Amino acid sequence: MIRLSDIVVKFGDLEALHNINVDVREGEFFTFLGPSGCGKTTTLRTITGFIEPVSGTVSMQGRDITHVPIEKRNIGIVFQSYALFPTMTVHDNIAFGLKIKKMKKDEIEQKVQEIARKVDLKERHLKRAVSQLSGGQQQRVAIARALVTEPAVICMDEPLSNLDAKLRVQLRNELKKMQKDFGITTIYVTHDQEEALTLSDRIAVFNKGYIEQIGTPNEIYNHSATEFVANFIGDINPLTDEAILKKLGLNTQEHHFIRLERVRVNDSTQDEQICQLPGAIESREYYGLYIKYYIRLENQVIKVIEKNDGIRIYEAGEKVTVGIHPADVMTYPGEG
Amino acid sequence: MQKTASSNRKPDPALLYKVFGGVLFLYLFLGFMVVPCINTLTSVFTAKDASGNTDPFAVIRFFLAGSMPSFVWNSLKLAVCLVVTVNIVGISIVLLTEYFDIKGAKILRMGYMTTLIYSGVALVTGYQFLYDSNGMLTKWFTDILPGFNKQWFTGFNAVLFTMTFACTSNHALFLRNAIRGIDYNTVEAARNMGAKPFKVLLKVVMPTLLPTLFSLTVMTFITGLCAMSAPTLLGYNSINPEIVRLAGSTTADESFPQARAALLSVILAMFTIVLLTVLNHYERKGHYLSVSKTKAKLVKQKIQNPAANILAHIYAYILFIIYMTPVVMIIVFSFQNWSAVRTKSLDFSGWTLSNYFGVENYQYTRSNGKISTRVGAISGVFANEKTVGGIRLSFLLSAVAAALACVIVVIAVNYIFKHRNKKRAVLIEGCLLFPWLLPTILICYSFRIFFNNEVWYVFGQNLYYKENVRILIILAYTVVKLPFALRMIKAAFYAIDDELEDAARNLGASGLVTFLRIKLPIVLPSVLAVFALNFNALFTEYDMGATFQKSEGTTYAMVIQSMCNEEGRDGMNMNASGRRCASTVFIMIVSGLILYLVYGVGSRDLGERLAIRERRSKKLQQIRKSLGFKTAVAEETQE
Repeated sequence: MIRLSDIVVKFGDLEALHNINVDVREGEFFTFLGPSGCGKTTTLRTITGFIEPVSGTVSMQGRDITHVPIEKRNIGIVFQSYALFPTMTVHDNIAFGLKIKKMKKDEIEQKVQEIARKVDLKERHLKRAVSQLSGGQQQRVAIARALVTEPAVICMDEPLSNLDAKLRVQLRNELKKMQKDFGITTIYVTHDQEEALTLSDRIAVFNKGYIEQIGTPNEIYNHSATEFVANFIGDINPLTDEAILKKLGLNTQEHHFIRLERVRVNDSTQDEQICQLPGAIESREYYGLYIKYYIRLENQVIKVIEKNDGIRIYEAGEKVTVGIHPADVMTYPGEG
Repeated sequence: MQKTASSNRKPDPALLYKVFGGVLFLYLFLGFMVVPCINTLTSVFTAKDASGNTDPFAVIRFFLAGSMPSFVWNSLKLAVCLVVTVNIVGISIVLLTEYFDIKGAKILRMGYMTTLIYSGVALVTGYQFLYDSNGMLTKWFTDILPGFNKQWFTGFNAVLFTMTFACTSNHALFLRNAIRGIDYNTVEAARNMGAKPFKVLLKVVMPTLLPTLFSLTVMTFITGLCAMSAPTLLGYNSINPEIVRLAGSTTADESFPQARAALLSVILAMFTIVLLTVLNHYERKGHYLSVSKTKAKLVKQKIQNPAANILAHIYAYILFIIYMTPVVMIIVFSFQNWSAVRTKSLDFSGWTLSNYFGVENYQYTRSNGKISTRVGAISGVFANEKTVGGIRLSFLLSAVAAALACVIVVIAVNYIFKHRNKKRAVLIEGCLLFPWLLPTILICYSFRIFFNNEVWYVFGQNLYYKENVRILIILAYTVVKLPFALRMIKAAFYAIDDELEDAARNLGASGLVTFLRIKLPIVLPSVLAVFALNFNALFTEYDMGATFQKSEGTTYAMVIQSMCNEEGRDGMNMNASGRRCASTVFIMIVSGLILYLVYGVGSRDLGERLAIRERRSKKLQQIRKSLGFKTAVAEETQE
């Protein structure tokens, strides 16, 4: 559907994107994930046409659109700030693109009503100014405005970042449902790993202008291709104590990590491969659904997540046994 | 047949627009800012001596040898004294209404802010009406204190007194904002650490106000230096009135009048440039910003010492009386008949609207006992031909100039924002700010002298000739108002999110459509506010009108000033003073209305406007319902 081939973008002397290659499939929810300044928004703006690459091609449905003007790409955009026109009513915001296309008045009216219904905006909302709407309603207007011109692809640049945590989760679900209902190819930019994991069919993890890994949420989380991806996605324990590594039979020249939920506390499973290590609870953080423990082993502190069953809660200072299965350890080549 | 490369080449419209725009901008900047001012500067050094030879230093020698330095000295003296008095009064009114818990602060604030709608020549003539030798208040003072000097309100004293209370508007606006921006937690922290209230004020509050105070001090100094209406009307020999006098003089009357006027305006410009450079340098160092993430609103401080509290209240209300008395008296006297106004004593049976509307005859008994009638000797503001003419001309000139300044600045700022961080954008901004560096008098004087010839680039016209002077006034008004328009409209453009432009482009809008339908509606309230504020300032503007001094260009302020002199002359204009009072009331209403439109109605966004409309329609439906009309009640439910 959308293919980026060897895209290089420069800002002056600074190379912001280095040979980016991405292939977004039809109907897919594809996310660009990464920390600030990693190049994800630059890549999105290259797709939408706001940035022209120094080299490489952007193609859509097999057609090279690298030098096609923004308005002729047939790509809808939902901006980070929503970019709703403050001097227009909701209706006029949605109808803007259709008016520019010089559609007939009744056709515009019909399309606006239809899209409003689909994104769950009521008739009364259409008459209001955008400043009179809640954050969630504004987001719906932004999506409606982007979709009403029937684009082939919709691009969203961190559309949930301005909302509070609770609303973000609520709208995340609505967004996913809407995307499924419309069946439209969606490219989504975020720095929030949880958002990326819950929404996406596939994710591209960016770092310093490169793509570190492209994969499904499961691949990205459980089979992180690089040390950066492993560290960036979710919380992780680096295994640094050589004694532990030797017990696990791991190469001390390499870098090893284990996810918090893979570390077992006082586990009675009889598996000889599991390496049992003595430790003591140093402190704990209570999260409601689960509890995070900081356990002191001989030469390092390890973080563990335990489901909060309300029965077994460890106290600081309590002696525990920590179990690590070598198969749960993620290994990456060491420096040099 | 193969076409040649040159025949294939079509002119790029965008390039043509750019070239046309660039040439037009250069024409306007060089032709109406640089060239006239350079002409003034060079005229200082090209004066000819008695034998007809050019003597570059003749004017300077004349300047140093004669009495001219006294004008500079007088202006400096006024500026320095004004800095002290305006700061004392300005800081007092802000502290009394915003920091200390003074009873009736809201009413006091309204009184202190009357200078926003009552200023310029109207204020000066108002003060003159009350305080001159036979003024109502002077009479009261002499009744109470028999030894009181009836002539106290002349010269330096009168100018300083009038300008002290006229120039606190900026304090009332900007210092008030600064004090409201103080984080109250810092005051509480200081109190918690044992600091007494006065110490808190001195060590915590005042230091945060210092940057604003510094800016206000510089602006007050420049205002004092460039004072025009007060010195002219109250008789004080400072620079500006002297420039205007010299500009109207000829070599037959005195030596080098024009070159001396030019030298004085150049001296004024030098002072202004130095002061603004210092101000700019200081402002770049930044202001104290609150580092607090949860800023607490300032709570008014009660003055604990009972005696100090009483004194503060007395001081607050004395200031209130000083501010309000002229306003109240002018309003009251505008409804008094001509004899009451002339004698400056209230006549409770002499109420009339004749100072506003209609024409009346004046009857008097001649020495031979016969009764004579002067037809139309009493006329109201809206019936007096000269006054209406002044209003009409000022309205037209101010509206055109204010609109022109807005159009030029909007186009320029749009260009500046499109080419941010590029040298040409910085250059254009610098050009538009250029008039800010020059005193208004220099610009107007330069226009008057330079365009009082046939100038080739204005189609060989003499713009100071007869009605052409109106074009010249419009040009001067526009040039002078460009820097203010630029600062305000540029600030409005900052509010446009870059993503809005991207969104419009993404939806297929061209650059022009994006500008007209997205950006312009966003900045329009600010542009209209700038238009209204500029119009307001120009409508009653005196300094420029006085510099141009031309019967075809007699503005409203000039008409008001002339009313002072023409009262009762030849038995006509019997109610000139009353009409002047009515004119002042009219100006107050116009200014008040404009300020309400700008800061009241104009500051509402679309959401607020729609909400008000919705509330009104609901109220209307309720009224209709209560009156028994059938209505379709909106079923809308608020979310």
